[in-house]
Amino acid sequence: MSTVMTSAPAENIQLHTSRPSFFGLVRGEFLKVTRQWSTWILLILVVGVTVLPYIIETARPHFKANLASAPLTVYYDQLGIGLSVLRIFTGFFLLIVTARMVGQEYQLGTIRVLLSRGVGRLQLLFAKLVTMALIALILLIVGVLLNLLLTVLLVAGIAGNLNSFSALTSQFWSDSGIYVLYILLNMGVSILLATAAAVVGRASVFGIAAALAFFPLDNFGTVIMLLANRVTNSDFWLSITAYFLGPNLNQMPTALTAGRVASIGFGPLYNAQGNHGILVDGTHTLVVAAVYAAIFAAAAIWLTWKRDVKE
Amino acid sequence: MQSETLFHPSFMKGMESSCMTERVMTMPGADTSQARPGEVVLSIRGLSKQYGKRMAVDDLSLDVRRGEIFGFLGPNGAGKTTTIRMVLGLIAPTGGSVDILNKDIAFYRAEILPRVGALVETPALYLYMSGRDNLRAVGSALGGVPKARIDYVLELVGLQNRQKDRVRTYSLGMKQRLGVAMALLQDPELLVLDEPANGLDPAGIVEMRDLMHNLSAAGKTVFISSHLLPEVQQICTKVAIINLGKLVTESTVEELTSGHGEFSVTLERAQEALALVQAQNWGRDARLNEHGALITPAPGNRGRDLNLFLVKAGFAPDTIAQATQDLEEVFLRLTNGGTGGVQ
Repeated sequence: MSTVMTSAPAENIQLHTSRPSFFGLVRGEFLKVTRQWSTWILLILVVGVTVLPYIIETARPHFKANLASAPLTVYYDQLGIGLSVLRIFTGFFLLIVTARMVGQEYQLGTIRVLLSRGVGRLQLLFAKLVTMALIALILLIVGVLLNLLLTVLLVAGIAGNLNSFSALTSQFWSDSGIYVLYILLNMGVSILLATAAAVVGRASVFGIAAALAFFPLDNFGTVIMLLANRVTNSDFWLSITAYFLGPNLNQMPTALTAGRVASIGFGPLYNAQGNHGILVDGTHTLVVAAVYAAIFAAAAIWLTWKRDVKE
Repeated sequence: MQSETLFHPSFMKGMESSCMTERVMTMPGADTSQARPGEVVLSIRGLSKQYGKRMAVDDLSLDVRRGEIFGFLGPNGAGKTTTIRMVLGLIAPTGGSVDILNKDIAFYRAEILPRVGALVETPALYLYMSGRDNLRAVGSALGGVPKARIDYVLELVGLQNRQKDRVRTYSLGMKQRLGVAMALLQDPELLVLDEPANGLDPAGIVEMRDLMHNLSAAGKTVFISSHLLPEVQQICTKVAIINLGKLVTESTVEELTSGHGEFSVTLERAQEALALVQAQNWGRDARLNEHGALITPAPGNRGRDLNLFLVKAGFAPDTIAQATQDLEEVFLRLTNGGTGGVQ
């Protein structure tokens, strides 16, 4: 038989014996993410908003004087603002990219192409999660380094030297480390939330919309609870907010650093006496975030595992 | 139009003299060398899928052997796509099993499904990526595919000139061809194609037919679901027809269209001859077809005796031949006019 060989026998055997590969899937996911223009546009926007507060700082009066008189306070302010911006906007980035990565597979029907090649449902889901976790890690490292660089440039540009860095205490560096871990935790929760939303809706549009709507609704929910408290005079409505994800995440850095790092956004509500029977400390915020993350993960895993693929 | 054809014209030249066959037969690898002609490649046993009270697929059993081009037919809603999705592990069956290459896919899907190429309904593609990147992305799921193999399948389906263009800009026919390229990427032993001719122009359909023949000649097995019955009749060696989720018949195309021992007789005064034949014990099922020919069983099932009977009765036939049916006629008869209703 005159068979024309278009590839070497070793390659043929490799084709015939190939199995689904987890790292191959991760590589494929990176390829898909990097081939979308919107990924790069979002990334440029994240870098833009990270730089923005530092540009505004240069125009702030008394910055130089404050830096000379109370450098530690200035650096704590910078830490709170700079890394909060990083946390919030990398959160948006991860919500959109994750929901699109998971939802598009359903929306385009490509999930059936992958699964019909023997790829496991959960194998595919975990490959996507690992890809997003790696992207988040890269984003965090680059974001932190960018903030550090911008702080150095800001201080050097305004003060003319970097002497004020000597005022930074080990406590400051410890709090910075806690804040970075806090951003990482936020990123993880965002990825799991977006994954669950996209799996539930089986579409990127639904996933993105639901994921982006969650935190604004969650935060706005505290206002609704406040109104309910005013109407009913019951602290019950206030205590509920101690279990809202967004307010807990907002409160977390302050709770974990004993108030040294400021929070941005709505936190859980308290009554005039400053309590409602629930202690919202660092442990509480971590537990609430962990429970939400576990619920998002369980929903995504269960639905991916058990549902038929009809796309 | 070249862009709408399934394969590049250069691949179609001399295809009858096995050009495509030569190109398809690339796999003397370990697994294929163990292949035995006639071995059952796909075995479906008692497969069922229930949605609420409705049985989408009901106790379906089929065997598809190596090298066959097996047609899987049924009206809309008969359960074809549900069956194919169960074969590919996309839908969990309510009951029954699917064995591919003698292994139950419920337990060996990661081992077996990489050896199956599939195109289910419309091709599912990453529209924002190029054709080539689509193949890379899918290939990477199985640890990567050699660049040469991607070049090869792109060339095979005639997309090498558009490989760097975004799939969003492709015509439906080109997307269908890319879907076929994806299915062939791993050099599968079994190809499962659900309506592969969707979106193809007549030239593309002819080329698809040629590809099926050449894949079969190369020892590949093709399981194909299609509504284009004349195509199925030309392509397939064996067909199964399902209706309302149940298997109606499984047979060779030749057997199904053979006319079951009936004869087609052209003669003058056909109506009078029909009345005479119907009066005989052996001729009660006689009828006239749409061309006015007498379709009738023969006394003792012998054509010569039928001829003698008609001549003696003064109805000398112009022609007498074994009656055959179109697959379409058989399909419509077995599926109550293709409506999916009860026969």
